[in-house]
Amino acid sequence: MNLALLIPEITLAVFAVLVILLDLGVRQKTVLRSVALAGLVIAGGVTAAMWGGSYPAQFSNMLAVDHFALFFKLLFAGIAFLVILASADYVDKFARFQGEYYALILLSTLGMMLMAATADLISLYIALELTSISLYVLVGFLKDRKSTEASLKYLLLGAIASAVLLYGMALIFGYTGQTQLGAIARAIQSMPPSAVMDSPALLMGIVMLIAGFGFKIAAVPFQMWVPDVYEGAPTPVTAYLSVGSKAAGFAIILRVFFSAFGMPDWLSANWGAIFAVLAVISMIVGNVAAIPQANIKRLLGYSSIAQAGYLMVGLATFGFAPASSVLGQSGILFFLASYALTNLGAFIAVIAISNKIGSDEIADFAGMFKRAPVLALALTFCLVSLIGMPPAAGFMAKFYIFSAAAQNGLLWLVVIAAINSVISAYYYLRVVKVMWSGEAASGEKVPSSGAPRLALFICCLGVLLLGVIPGLVMRLAEVAGRLFAF
Amino acid sequence: MLANYGLIGLFFIIVALFSLSMPIIPIVLRYLKIVPSHPGPVKNSTFECGVETIGKTWVQFNFHYYFYALVFLAIDVLVVFLYPWAVQLRQLGLFSFFAVLVLVFIVVIGYVYAWKKKVLEWK
Repeated sequence: MNLALLIPEITLAVFAVLVILLDLGVRQKTVLRSVALAGLVIAGGVTAAMWGGSYPAQFSNMLAVDHFALFFKLLFAGIAFLVILASADYVDKFARFQGEYYALILLSTLGMMLMAATADLISLYIALELTSISLYVLVGFLKDRKSTEASLKYLLLGAIASAVLLYGMALIFGYTGQTQLGAIARAIQSMPPSAVMDSPALLMGIVMLIAGFGFKIAAVPFQMWVPDVYEGAPTPVTAYLSVGSKAAGFAIILRVFFSAFGMPDWLSANWGAIFAVLAVISMIVGNVAAIPQANIKRLLGYSSIAQAGYLMVGLATFGFAPASSVLGQSGILFFLASYALTNLGAFIAVIAISNKIGSDEIADFAGMFKRAPVLALALTFCLVSLIGMPPAAGFMAKFYIFSAAAQNGLLWLVVIAAINSVISAYYYLRVVKVMWSGEAASGEKVPSSGAPRLALFICCLGVLLLGVIPGLVMRLAEVAGRLFAF
Repeated sequence: MLANYGLIGLFFIIVALFSLSMPIIPIVLRYLKIVPSHPGPVKNSTFECGVETIGKTWVQFNFHYYFYALVFLAIDVLVVFLYPWAVQLRQLGLFSFFAVLVLVFIVVIGYVYAWKKKVLEWK
């Protein structure tokens, strides 16, 4: 047992406890934010320093500290850092519970880090629940009617998703007799294909795993919770949910499906087909349902469903052509990184604006160009990136994923995705139009404080850099994704 | 194969006959005048376990118990871990000693947190 491999996680746990303890004694609550940020910086720094060493199965084969896990750990630390920076003004709304807020964000980040590193169904479930339970509480943090309703909905539907996931795991364990992902893969490969097809328990288990994970990544038809929870939750938590929780869901899908069910080609083509269908309906439902939305948080919620659809195009690519799609896997990782920066940027701008004008309605954003030029410009840039237009990161991300899909015989999927990108331009640009040409309700300026501005600057810079020189992150993603190349 | 199902079927028939005949027996005994009939208010009342309630049952009770239950639960789970650990302490070695110490420390922090947040005060 090599505890040094767990230093990022241990750091986060220690700092979460530290924040709670400090909260009991300290009057000046901004100290808590600094402590939480320091914890994330240390955890992220240690993770970055660990890049280069790969330890596939540690701690009784429970965790894998490899490049794939390190890539996601870095991503999660960055996401949590930006979210905490962005919630600087917002936390005044829950004055009594600031310490708990920061501690819960740290703990759910810890859970996500463990999710990316799981090599066993048991540790996977524990990490998933650690993340989910922290998020259930965070969603209800405003304690008003909508927030409480969102939290309860998220809890109930999340519990059902967990139950389905556990049932799937139980079926897979019952069929293979293993919980370790590598051992499951070996057990499946040692059986003749007819034996697998004759007992549908394994296929049923895989379908249930997809359902359970589909809840996490908000894929249609498991997306019912998204609009209400996104609207009711505190906006920084919504940003965190839409980026962190989704990235963790994809990390876990990549890990489980690539290392446990990736090998016999006919099996991976089967789940590839499921992801292809889910991708199509997620893109269509997400984009079409986003069009009539009047609330910016709901709009971004539906847009995140559509983005999950684009990401699943990458999953389908891998399912259909596991051996030859290195571009497909690293494309997914690149898409997740660029989506994280883009969506966080959009949400941070929304937080900064709507915290001051006290409304999430798109109509109230009218004339924002005159009231808050920098915020409006940043929000516009992020929305353009979400559409997938150059020079923003979203363009390169979609380019990688779609070209990988087209190369591997999924041209029909790419065509549908491209049509959906055009549909999405309509509702993203509607927000832009309202901000730039709408008549402002008042000439009053919308000021914003330093920390959210810094976070927004980091996001926009990241989106621009990833769009203009994608090679840097793409190389990291390739190293991380090579793990699953057979 | 079919004989096995037959056995199970026979078993079901016996069960059905038994459970039908049991309530019939007292009725038959009553008709044969073996059992005397002396109805009274106590005998005719519905049989239920427990004591009759004093006052309404729809009263509100103190929510504070909830917090106590939560704190208790955390410490209770800790104790469940401590018993097997204490029995096997020598074999498990120094590492497990410190591992459990960390666990105890985390639970104690939870306790201190509850204390400071005035959960333990009865208002």
